[in-house]
Amino acid sequence: MPHGTLETRLNHQDVALTREPIDAKALLSAVTDVTAGGSVLFVGSTRSQTAGAMTTCLTYEAHEPLARAVLAALVAEARERFALVGCGVVHRLGEVAAGEASIAVAASAPHRKEAFAATEWLMDRIKRDVPIWKCEHSPDGSRTWVHGDMPPNTSGRAAEVMTHP
Amino acid sequence: MRDDTPTVRVTMFAGVAEAVGTRSVDVPWNGGTVVDLRTAITTMFPVAEPLLSRSAFALGDRYAAADERVPAGADVAIIPPVSGG
Repeated sequence: MPHGTLETRLNHQDVALTREPIDAKALLSAVTDVTAGGSVLFVGSTRSQTAGAMTTCLTYEAHEPLARAVLAALVAEARERFALVGCGVVHRLGEVAAGEASIAVAASAPHRKEAFAATEWLMDRIKRDVPIWKCEHSPDGSRTWVHGDMPPNTSGRAAEVMTHP
Repeated sequence: MRDDTPTVRVTMFAGVAEAVGTRSVDVPWNGGTVVDLRTAITTMFPVAEPLLSRSAFALGDRYAAADERVPAGADVAIIPPVSGG
C-alpha cells in the first residue's frame, strides 16, 4: 500500500493478495488521509469450528490475476458509490491457522456512515464475486472445499447482492 | 489427438480441480459460446457436473458472459461458487 498524495492514491488500485500474515494497521494507515473524518477497518479471521466440525487449519486458493482484477473493480466502484477518501483490500492465500486474519478491508470517508457502509458493501461483493476459495482441513486429514450455491456475478459492474438470481 | 486439432486450455480450481483430478486440461474446440464449452467439459467430466452447472467462466483475467464466443487457443478458467473473505 503506497503512501503518497491523495491523487496518486486515488489512481492506485489498493488491492493485494498475500501469503504472509496481514498487516491490518498498515492497510488502515494507507487509506487514511487528512480529509477523512472516519475510517473503518474490518478484519475477517478463520474460525476453529464450522457448523460444529473442528478444523485444524484453512487454506485459501485464488485465480490470482482475476481475483486482483475483480477486487480492483470493486474497490473502484466502492470509492465512487460512497465518495471515499481511501479504500483498500488485502486477502490472505495459502495456509491460515485458526484465529488468523484471512481478509482486511479498510475505507475512509469524510463521514463515518459512508466508511461503515463501504466496508460492508465490499465484504458482501467479495464473498460473492472474487475468485478465492476456502478449504477446511479436519484433524482426521480429510479436506473439504467450500462452495456456495450461487456463481459469481460476471457482469463487470457489481450487481445488487439481493437481486442476483 | 492430432497436433493441429484446435483446443482451449481450461484451468480448474478448488472443488472442480479436486473432482476432476487435474488443474489443467486441453479441450478439443471447434468454436462456440461459454455455454457450449461448459457442455463439452461436463461431457468429459460428468463427476464435476454439480459444480460445473453453477460455475462462471473466465477468459484471461476477466469474467466471460454466458453467450460470449470462446476462440480456439483461449485461456479459460472455471470459477465455481467462491468462498473467500
